[in-house]
Amino acid sequence: MNTLITRGIQALMVAVLIGAATFAMMRALPGDAAYRIAAGRYGYDNVDTAAADAVRDELGLGGPALPAFLSWLGDLLRLDFGTSLVTGNPVIEEIGHQLGASMALAGVAVLLSLVLGPPLGILAGLRPGGVLDRLLLVVSTGLKAVPQFLMALILILILSVQFRLLPAAGHGEARHFILPALALALGLAAVNARIARDAMARIGAMPFYSFAQWKGLSPHQTLWRHGLRNVSVPLLTYLGLQFVTLVEGVVVVEAVFGWPGIGHALVHAIFSRDVPMVQGTALCLGLSFVLINAVIDVLTQRIDPRRAT
Amino acid sequence: MSDAVMIPRPAGHATRWIGATLVATVLVFSLIGPLAVPGDPFAQSLMKALSGPEPGAPLGYDHLGRSIFHRLAHALRLSPAIAIAAVLSAGLAGLVLGTVAAARGGWTDRILTTLADALLALPGLLLVLIVLAILPGTAFGFWAGLSLVLWVEFFRLTRAATREVLVSPAVQATRLLGFGPIYIFRTHIWPEIAPMMLTAAAFGTATAIMAIAALGFVHVGMRAPTPELGLMMVELLPYWREAPMALLSPVIATFALLLSLTLLAGSRET
Amino acid sequence: MTLLNAEDITVSQGGTPILHPVSLHLEPGEPLVILGETGSGKSLLAQAIMGTLPRDLTARGRVALGDHLLDAARPNGFRPLWGRQIAVLPQEPWLSLDPLMRASGQVAEAHRLVRGLGKGEARAQATSDLDRLGLSGAGARYPHELSGGMAQRVAIAAARAGGARVVIADEPTKGLDAARRDEVADLLLAELARGGGLLVITHDLALARRVGGRMIVLREGRVVETGATASVMGAPTQAYTRDLIAADPENWALRTPAAPGAPVLTATGLAADRGGARLFSGLSFDLAEGRILGVTGPSGCGKSTLGDVVLGLLRASEGRVDKAKGLTATAFQKLYQDPVAAFPRHRTLEPTLLDVARRHGQSQARIDALMPRLGLAPVLLTRRPDAVSGGELQRLALLRLLLVRPKFIFADEPTSRLDPITQKQVIDLLCDMAETEGCAIMLVSHDPALVARTADHVLSLGPDAANVDVTPPRVARALQ
Repeated sequence: MNTLITRGIQALMVAVLIGAATFAMMRALPGDAAYRIAAGRYGYDNVDTAAADAVRDELGLGGPALPAFLSWLGDLLRLDFGTSLVTGNPVIEEIGHQLGASMALAGVAVLLSLVLGPPLGILAGLRPGGVLDRLLLVVSTGLKAVPQFLMALILILILSVQFRLLPAAGHGEARHFILPALALALGLAAVNARIARDAMARIGAMPFYSFAQWKGLSPHQTLWRHGLRNVSVPLLTYLGLQFVTLVEGVVVVEAVFGWPGIGHALVHAIFSRDVPMVQGTALCLGLSFVLINAVIDVLTQRIDPRRAT
Repeated sequence: MSDAVMIPRPAGHATRWIGATLVATVLVFSLIGPLAVPGDPFAQSLMKALSGPEPGAPLGYDHLGRSIFHRLAHALRLSPAIAIAAVLSAGLAGLVLGTVAAARGGWTDRILTTLADALLALPGLLLVLIVLAILPGTAFGFWAGLSLVLWVEFFRLTRAATREVLVSPAVQATRLLGFGPIYIFRTHIWPEIAPMMLTAAAFGTATAIMAIAALGFVHVGMRAPTPELGLMMVELLPYWREAPMALLSPVIATFALLLSLTLLAGSRET
Repeated sequence: MTLLNAEDITVSQGGTPILHPVSLHLEPGEPLVILGETGSGKSLLAQAIMGTLPRDLTARGRVALGDHLLDAARPNGFRPLWGRQIAVLPQEPWLSLDPLMRASGQVAEAHRLVRGLGKGEARAQATSDLDRLGLSGAGARYPHELSGGMAQRVAIAAARAGGARVVIADEPTKGLDAARRDEVADLLLAELARGGGLLVITHDLALARRVGGRMIVLREGRVVETGATASVMGAPTQAYTRDLIAADPENWALRTPAAPGAPVLTATGLAADRGGARLFSGLSFDLAEGRILGVTGPSGCGKSTLGDVVLGLLRASEGRVDKAKGLTATAFQKLYQDPVAAFPRHRTLEPTLLDVARRHGQSQARIDALMPRLGLAPVLLTRRPDAVSGGELQRLALLRLLLVRPKFIFADEPTSRLDPITQKQVIDLLCDMAETEGCAIMLVSHDPALVARTADHVLSLGPDAANVDVTPPRVARALQ
């Protein structure tokens, strides 16, 4: 319960921070912001001084900063994001379209990373210092040093340009998922593997792990009954924290592959100074982080009763 | 949620040495290289576009006939300089605020922790992009945005370690023996956090360099004709078949730089 | 029929022997105690017999367990016997239970997977095991919801569930107070009475006495003495065994009470709470120079809290502590249970001590003069706290206090982590300090014998205070 309240405060703070940042962005817009917003809403041909003034009054753009900021925050907290300055469509609608594509990509990437990383990490952690452990250390260190955009570039060069196995851009079919998801998943898997490895090594060295075997359980039974459950708690926790890395990766990878998701939209919105879109997408990403971590809090509390107290 | 701090663990000696040597190599290349082979990273000569290495341009020419050697050397000075500046300011801010939060407790701690937790929920690249859109000057914007993102890690580490140290019997004993807060910081807190700070600084530098390159690569970071690692890659990508070495130069340099920083930092305990 | 027969067990590390040949045998119904201090090799011996030695150590020798013949050099051969032939009781039962599994599950899984019972049968058996050990209804709890004593009993049930007849208990009373120590001993003997063998490894003379049976005394990897526990403890033949037994607080000479000096502090009507529950109330006492106030009671009764209240580190819920006039802020000092945790861990000891000396207007010369008085070698100063033995570091902590010239020392279980002989040295030095430095000492210990023979007055906290000679109300005003 307590953690959910903390998450609620975190969500509120996220909204305020994004409100402040986008408000500053709005104020820093070159030229007459009200005119640009009006143009976004009504089209450049229909904008006149009256429409610009109406927007100015509505958003408090002309007045002193503090009341303007408060009304800005008020709109934000009522989830009234306004309309995109570029397309003129309501921001909510725009985000609704893009979110699905991003979530599909992120979901595939996370699943792929979980298939690749933790099993190898756990195997390595069962024998710290063994051949697999050292090999995994080298590979994961190397992978962690490759940023997602570079991974995307390398995958495109090898699999798409050189061998023409997979399409470098496009969206809609399953094969379009492979390259962007792989570009995201390899880096995540490298981190997951290390976390699982460290957790397994630590748990394997704990007295209860030895004691389970002294009771007569086989190594396999011990791993299954006492290892995995204990490893899952730190793994889930860091999976939640990794969400930020995932989102950053999604932003970049979508831009590289032209994936019509929220990250792609965000980069475009910032580039074209479409402040309402920036605000909407940023809030969407920030709140997803809080939501996912709240879910993980609840999950880990169910697995580990010590966390609930 | 604030208890989920990843405690950095210093790497083994050998790993750190390899990392340090590799960092030094990259830096020597970027600083000394242009002195050894003088040249201008901006000078175009379309005649030489995509042509191979020659004494005045040891890595050949890009699509606009600019020396890749000199552009790379310039790029390898630019992002590390911004990254180190951001890490220094973020590290200092995180250290001071983290110590204050741990030592004062109460509302000071609560407000700072809430702020840090909220920033943690936001993708760093997003914050950097917004700051870039607000502040004039790309390099200045990167410094400010990256500092804003990076201080959180230093803050959380310092706060967690300092809290733990402050309630230890060792600090209680030192207080009873008549020593003040400065002595406690010097003998108990700093020795505990210094190695973590070094590791976090290496990670932070790598994160910052990655961010600058990633945003350059998707055309929302440094602008042409500034030589920047990500920007160079995306500019040379269309010419992969004609001049693979031209593209591979910034790719290899970026990987070497990031790998060396990762090795220098070591891994993290969970 | 001999249950376990181990012949010529040796352990070596990289070719260097650290345990010299030891042979032992275990008969049904007769416990065997292996007694030794830290570094005596007693745990290595147990690990060699169980096949659980760390990888970098190699064992030699032959072990016969029932009708199985095993080679100590091949630890893998022991694995199939764990739980089925040998049950191992862990040192710290709390850490030995899976924190994410309910107590009954941890017992039932051994019944099911080791003994091969069906699921329901295993669960029923686990419940009846826990009932028999007085844990009815605790099966659904997670380890963190169990007290230390309950965790110990769950661990015993889990270890025995596989049907093993030989029980090996390695330091089963580590960190337990006197009442809990006896409880564990009785529990082990009750298990023994159900038929089987019991091997107890300990440094605790009181536990050894209570377990009885036969005894092997180890020192630095060699057997010093063997025989019936009662006769070894009653009439030791070897000098080391004599020293060891003399170091047991039960056998200490009573300290001659010191003449009280000037008053140091007055406590009036002290009360303290923890987590909403009252720990103690209405405590009033005076303490004068040169006097020792012993505080005893079971774990969690508020002994340490009382000391921290007197030091001013914690606020009392009621009452107050008045320091004598003219005492400096640093006149009240504390001696910690774990000396390693009481020193800055990243510095060598020399600069730490020198800073304290300078802060209190003294020089290196004073440190140099105190070192031999406390029986400390100068080389220790060049080391970090974790590279010095517990006994030496506790004496260095005393040295650090001497530099401050305190008038009151709160010694919080200062020897509970030390071996008996080292414990006696440290307590003797502490008593010496009270006398020569004119220092009032509040000595907290869970060991009533230690407190009874050391303190001028005893303050007993906790629910069973009535069992002890001086009850809190009678302590009031009694210490002058």
